[in-house]
Amino acid sequence: MKTKITAIIALFLLSFSATAQIDRSVQPKPGPAPTITLEVPGEFELKNGLKVLVVENHKLPRVSYSLRIDNQPKVEGEIAGVSGILGSMLGNGTTSITKDQFNEEIDFLGASLSFGSSSAFGSSLTKYSERILELMTDATMNPLLTEEEFQKEKEKAIEGLKSSAKSVDAVASRVGDALSFGKKHPYGEFITEESLNNITLDNVRAFYQENFNPNNAYLVIVGDVDFRTVEKQVKKFFKKWDKGIDVTKNIPQPYINVNATEINFVDMPNAVQSNISITSNVKLEMGDPDYHAVLIANKILGGGFNSYLNMNLREVHGYTYGARSSVGTDRYGAARFTAGAQVRNAVTDSAVVESLKEIKRIKTEKVSAEDLRNAKAKYVGDFVLALEQPSTIARYALNIKLNNLPSDFYKTYLTKINAVTADDVQRVANKYFTEQNARVIVVGKGSEVVSNLEKTGIPVKYFDAFANSVSKPVFSKPIPAGITAQTVVDGYIKAIGGETTLQNVTTLVQEMSASFQGQNMAMTLKQKSPNLMSTDVSIIGMGSVFKQAFNGETGYMAQMGNKQPMPADAIAKSKAKTALFDELGLMTNSSLKVSLDSIETVDGNDAYVLVIEDKDGESTKNYYDVTSGLKIKSVSKGKGPGGQEITQERTFGDYKEVSGIKFPHVTSVPMGGQNVELKVTAIKVNEPLTTADFE
Amino acid sequence: MKKNLFSLAALLLAGFAANAQEVKFEEYDLSNGMHVILHQDNTAPVVTTSVMYHVGAKDEQPDRTGMAHFFEHLLFEGTENIERGEWFKIVTSNGGSNNANTTDDRTYYYEVFPSNSLELGLWMESERLMHPIINQIGVDTQNEVVKEEKRLRVDNAPYGKFIEEIKLNIFKKHPYKGTTIGKMAHLDAASLEEFQAFNKKFYVPNNAVLVVAGDIDVPATKKMIEDYFGPIPRGEDIVRNFPKEDPITETIKAKAYDSNIQIPAIMAAYRTPAMTERDAYVLDMLSSYLSSGKTSKLYKKLVDDKKMALQVGAFNQSQEDYGTYILYGLPLGDNSLESLLAEIDEELVKVQNELMSERDYQKLQNQFENDFVSSNSSVSGIANSLARYYMLFDDVNLINNEINIYRSITREEIQAVAKKYLNPNQRVVLEYLPVAKEEE
Repeated sequence: MKTKITAIIALFLLSFSATAQIDRSVQPKPGPAPTITLEVPGEFELKNGLKVLVVENHKLPRVSYSLRIDNQPKVEGEIAGVSGILGSMLGNGTTSITKDQFNEEIDFLGASLSFGSSSAFGSSLTKYSERILELMTDATMNPLLTEEEFQKEKEKAIEGLKSSAKSVDAVASRVGDALSFGKKHPYGEFITEESLNNITLDNVRAFYQENFNPNNAYLVIVGDVDFRTVEKQVKKFFKKWDKGIDVTKNIPQPYINVNATEINFVDMPNAVQSNISITSNVKLEMGDPDYHAVLIANKILGGGFNSYLNMNLREVHGYTYGARSSVGTDRYGAARFTAGAQVRNAVTDSAVVESLKEIKRIKTEKVSAEDLRNAKAKYVGDFVLALEQPSTIARYALNIKLNNLPSDFYKTYLTKINAVTADDVQRVANKYFTEQNARVIVVGKGSEVVSNLEKTGIPVKYFDAFANSVSKPVFSKPIPAGITAQTVVDGYIKAIGGETTLQNVTTLVQEMSASFQGQNMAMTLKQKSPNLMSTDVSIIGMGSVFKQAFNGETGYMAQMGNKQPMPADAIAKSKAKTALFDELGLMTNSSLKVSLDSIETVDGNDAYVLVIEDKDGESTKNYYDVTSGLKIKSVSKGKGPGGQEITQERTFGDYKEVSGIKFPHVTSVPMGGQNVELKVTAIKVNEPLTTADFE
Repeated sequence: MKKNLFSLAALLLAGFAANAQEVKFEEYDLSNGMHVILHQDNTAPVVTTSVMYHVGAKDEQPDRTGMAHFFEHLLFEGTENIERGEWFKIVTSNGGSNNANTTDDRTYYYEVFPSNSLELGLWMESERLMHPIINQIGVDTQNEVVKEEKRLRVDNAPYGKFIEEIKLNIFKKHPYKGTTIGKMAHLDAASLEEFQAFNKKFYVPNNAVLVVAGDIDVPATKKMIEDYFGPIPRGEDIVRNFPKEDPITETIKAKAYDSNIQIPAIMAAYRTPAMTERDAYVLDMLSSYLSSGKTSKLYKKLVDDKKMALQVGAFNQSQEDYGTYILYGLPLGDNSLESLLAEIDEELVKVQNELMSERDYQKLQNQFENDFVSSNSSVSGIANSLARYYMLFDDVNLINNEINIYRSITREEIQAVAKKYLNPNQRVVLEYLPVAKEEE
């Protein structure tokens, strides 16, 4: 009986407390901060210079070894890729163990062992750990570098390049480094099929000799080991590793930043997203007094989900899956600030503009107390969370050595993070983040994004996928179903007035004026159906300087009074004309081949490209605006008198109606590096003209 | 040379008993049907709070694919007590990390916090389950984000569409035939009411497991869990009745094109049993035998010795209702896809006709033991495994015992399973090709 009563009371109290204690409308406050301990790894150094860090952690029965050779960055130049080939060849046997035996043993132990061009990593269960260390040592000191392996790895590297050739992100990364640092800088150079083909086995061996030395090497051991035991093992295995010669070379300086922000565009027609990265070079080291403030400033700008960039581009606009920024640190003065995202084609220009805006914002507006507090809290949290991995304290210790940091760098880390002020953030943002002299590297589908990028007003420069400067490529788009040469021509005729209206035109006089090299010109073009034509160009004060006429049978050309008869082929061509408006007889003219080629962008507007070829191989490309149907550009290619190719380009604008027909009132012709604009002063339709007008 | 053999022999004698630390855990149900698993590990002041919901792409209506993954985005938009846009700020401002992911079978949400923010993590997950705000603004914003995610991970990614193409061919009736990310047109067509109905149906405590792992005090944690999750009402039971696939009896040949690649790939895919079946474990071992490590059969032969392939591999994609066993190769130089497939097939036939060597078998056992030890190396990884073993395997003890299943698999069994599932007439052969220039 008694026990029952207690039970009821207990239950009552429990339910009471359950309903009374929490108020879920209020965000729970954190409890007292957990204490963290920052252990220090054990250390020792071999006579040959190899430095060893040991973190004992017995939670799981496994051990990892990480070897890092801290050489200066090195230009590989003509044989770029040699370090990568070496990395892929290492760890495949030693001078005393064949490749097959070596790999078989690693696999058999369920272990892993891999090499990079200046690193090695091995891991295994504790029970096999000594053997793995021994194999790793042997492969480091006595690698088997055979011609057969070399050829195979080279071939794989070439195929590997191909497999990423169409990857937008791979191209963006290569071009970004090359344009920022320069192709001759260790961080800017890249591997090409050619450079891979230049590499010989001797190059690889030489690279190994020069770089794989204990002088600047660090071995980090983490896991289920006993310090004394592993120290003995390391000394036994690595003592025979000979000290190499320290090669110190001058590292080329990275490029200086551009004077004014420019877009560097790389066309990848297969892209469905543009890879945008706003970048400039910075000089920042971990030991710099600005370091902690830069971390916080970057966290606020683009270092996480709640950053300015991500909140704008992802959460407000839905342009991207994620937008981020980063600031690198480098001991050799070559690091980059980058801000960017991968965004769908249609919003590429907007994403560029919004990103630049956010960079400007962090430089001009003081960060809110809340954003600053949150950014710091995230760093504190990450610091705590990282301590779960035993490798963290090894990484910290290694960073201190590699970057010549004070030994209390990580002990004071959180204090320094917490000391960063809003003023600090703004100051370092202005020092390290750029929106006024940045490269905006965009890799994407030109036909869909370039015309809008041009409209941002930021100058656009073009590069190929290997960071070579190129002239603006022609971006073409696929033609929608149902659109043919016929529909385009019909659309144009309809747009300027309709077939009936045009066919009723028997004569046409167009008077135009232009200014060229300080001189004012006047031009009169007369036409009479079916094919009579005369052109007269005069300069004010000089009179007629050029005249051309065709009377239906013969014609001539006169330049500064020097008169020449029209050549036979030109007469034939003039005779073949059947209408005043070229498009009227175009589709039925059997001597011409007319085809609809593509859609290209002309001054930001999509245009159908119609190609007209005649039997002599002369061709004209007419561009008809997709929306209005009007002809906006025409490019003719033909042979000049000396057989050389002559290209004549005209763009048409300012269409206005005269007698029910739309005529372009401005025709622009490139001449001597600039555009000459011919402006219509008068158009007369069906003005009586006589044959005298064409003599 | 002698020395090498000696040390190897010594290792063999060392035996293969697992001595990985046992993962201790406690599990129970709340009265609303929510399952709870606790794992205490006080070595670092870090705690993971996570909830796995038994809803994935296979639970979607055929004309509303992508819904489950869409929720993984939508349920960060806010709740009755967490304003829109605040979710990530709360996590960040307390030094935490969080994320979520979706498969065909389940959806998983988690936070990792310094351990003094345990209550915060529980509050957030309980808010998400109890009363998320699902409105048009959230749907519209996340619609764009999901489309970008698809462009990033699928449309713009080299070889990004191959799983999709294989699933499409290997499943004819079961919803595994679709993709997790789904069709964008379906998401565009979904009404707000449909999103709300999906939430009501699947985001209920009786369809979820809560895991709290790390630096916790168990009684205090239990009390908080009851406080925050106890008041959430139970939902209706979910009935799953997916169509069964007919066996594949003739090779299905398929082609797919990818504008992001230059090197083609050949893939052979086989439909295999559910992840809980013993045969699925056997197939895992077979994958390792064929392609894990430099001395695995396919890698050694095709990449190393014959130099016919840039890459070759096998993997067993295990899922709740079926698995898909995929072999693939990327040819090197002028080698044809057919020749690569013929070489792969030759190895398969060997596995079917000959018993693997004792040494190869031991190698496999060693590899699986190594993987087993490493699989429990982080607390957040343990949390994920605990939730997964409960929800999809109905046996949380697998976190410690799964290695015993692999240990019990014999060479004869591996041979038998290869014979049973991996025959040419039971598969899809997919030629995954670059798009020729101008042909987009």
